Amino acid sequence: MNNPFKPCWKTILLILGCWAIAFVSQAQNTDSTKQESSSDEDFSMYDNVGFADEGARRYCSPKIEGLSPAKLISVGYDFQAGYGLGVDTFTNYTNTWEPDSARVLNSRGLRLGFNIPVISRTNLVWQMGANYWEQRYFMEDPDGSELKTAQNLLQTLSENGLRTLGVSTTVFKPLDDKRFLLFQGSADLNGDFSPLGLMPLKYLKYSAALVYGLRPNEKKQWGLGLARTYRVGELNYIPVFLFNWTDPANKWGTEILFPARAHVRYTINPRNMLFGGFELEGQSYRLWNTNGTPVKFRDEDLEIRRGEIRLRALYEFSLKDFVWLSVQAGYRINYRYEVDRLVDGQEIYRAFGLLSDAPYVMENRLGNPLYFQISLNLVSP
Amino acid sequence: MKKLTLFLMGLALCMQAFAIMPGDDGDRLLGVWEPSNGRARVKVEKIGSKYYGKIVWLKEPNDPKSGLPKTDMNNPDANLRNVPLKGYRMLKDFVYQENNQWSEGTIYDPLNGSTYSCTIKMTDPNTLDIRGYIGVSAFGRTDVWKRLAVKK
Repeated sequence: MNNPFKPCWKTILLILGCWAIAFVSQAQNTDSTKQESSSDEDFSMYDNVGFADEGARRYCSPKIEGLSPAKLISVGYDFQAGYGLGVDTFTNYTNTWEPDSARVLNSRGLRLGFNIPVISRTNLVWQMGANYWEQRYFMEDPDGSELKTAQNLLQTLSENGLRTLGVSTTVFKPLDDKRFLLFQGSADLNGDFSPLGLMPLKYLKYSAALVYGLRPNEKKQWGLGLARTYRVGELNYIPVFLFNWTDPANKWGTEILFPARAHVRYTINPRNMLFGGFELEGQSYRLWNTNGTPVKFRDEDLEIRRGEIRLRALYEFSLKDFVWLSVQAGYRINYRYEVDRLVDGQEIYRAFGLLSDAPYVMENRLGNPLYFQISLNLVSP
Repeated sequence: MKKLTLFLMGLALCMQAFAIMPGDDGDRLLGVWEPSNGRARVKVEKIGSKYYGKIVWLKEPNDPKSGLPKTDMNNPDANLRNVPLKGYRMLKDFVYQENNQWSEGTIYDPLNGSTYSCTIKMTDPNTLDIRGYIGVSAFGRTDVWKRLAVKK
């Protein structure tokens, strides 16, 4: 009697053959992570396709080709070389302090920035950010001796420096595949406060900009808008102009949000970029710290209206993958360093002298030094 | 004996076939997709049990300087800079998890030569959320891709 389970070599070999063919077939497939040659594939069939969902729409992207990468995390250090600082007469309700001057050996400080995408969709991009900047002043008397001033402004700058701690938000809303709205807003505490002794939130300064823009192609976007800004030191409402552009060869371009900043970009390759241009920096700094000053500025409602133009050259490059180093050097030109008295916190809106000619409490003079800044950045995909 | 042989052969082939059989939940990813910038079209294929996406169409197929078909000129590996972009696998190694999500893959950006960790979520049958990120998902960006079909 034939045993049905008697080994049948033909059967076993046949089954093993089937397994082997299937295994080799799959093994070949799983090895195909390598880039394949496209020479023998007809790609023309993908020309005549459209959205499967006929209701789907195309929206323009917030970026253009060739733009420098956005920074998610930035840790930097700013250094200004020596310059002279002369402060004006200061009079409060009881006393007068005569003008004085000091030599700033250097002013320097940490600059930290964080930006996190909250919503990143085709029809809406929303980012939140936070930043901390400080500027500490290292001074001596003009004759080179230790600083011995009776001027309270020099005292608080020397003792406490200036700081900014703020949050920001950016919203990009494409209207269709060509038009978009861009909103940027920020709330900053600026003053001579110490990192461990924050000022009350009632001193927050609010800035915002709204731009209506066009993105006619992958290499250009431009727009016009209006900004509420403290970049020239005091509150202003000014028009803004956005113009980001990259040439067809991806070598030259511009990154402009005028008047805040404007740069010409030269792309050595997508991981090495050179820039030349300027940035307008400034804020209104509340004099609040009582440390080191006999007059309690906290009670005087004073703010330093600081605005400066930084003419600069920048080099940004990838150290490794997404970690970029940014190095910049240039000339810091003082635009304004006056002091205003904001009674009861009421803002003074001069509109460059058109709406008000209210005098400043102190009109100060600053020299214009060379400066240097370096930052390590984690850049966005 | 013949019946047993046929049965075993059939079983072997069926077991193998299931491993590559279309119809897995993950196979909903198969097809041709367009990133939000509209610059390219990407065909997702299944190889083994993983999903890959290759560029099959470019809005600007030729290099404006040379007039020749674009290659992966920004690749950090100089040996790969002559590889044509058409046919380039920019999505790699995606594994279907569950709930219309694919992970463990990477996405390559030919514009800057960077490769990012990536997850894919299908929000509806014709829409993908493609999130490229660095290290942790919070440090990333989501792009929305739309499914393409042959025009009627």
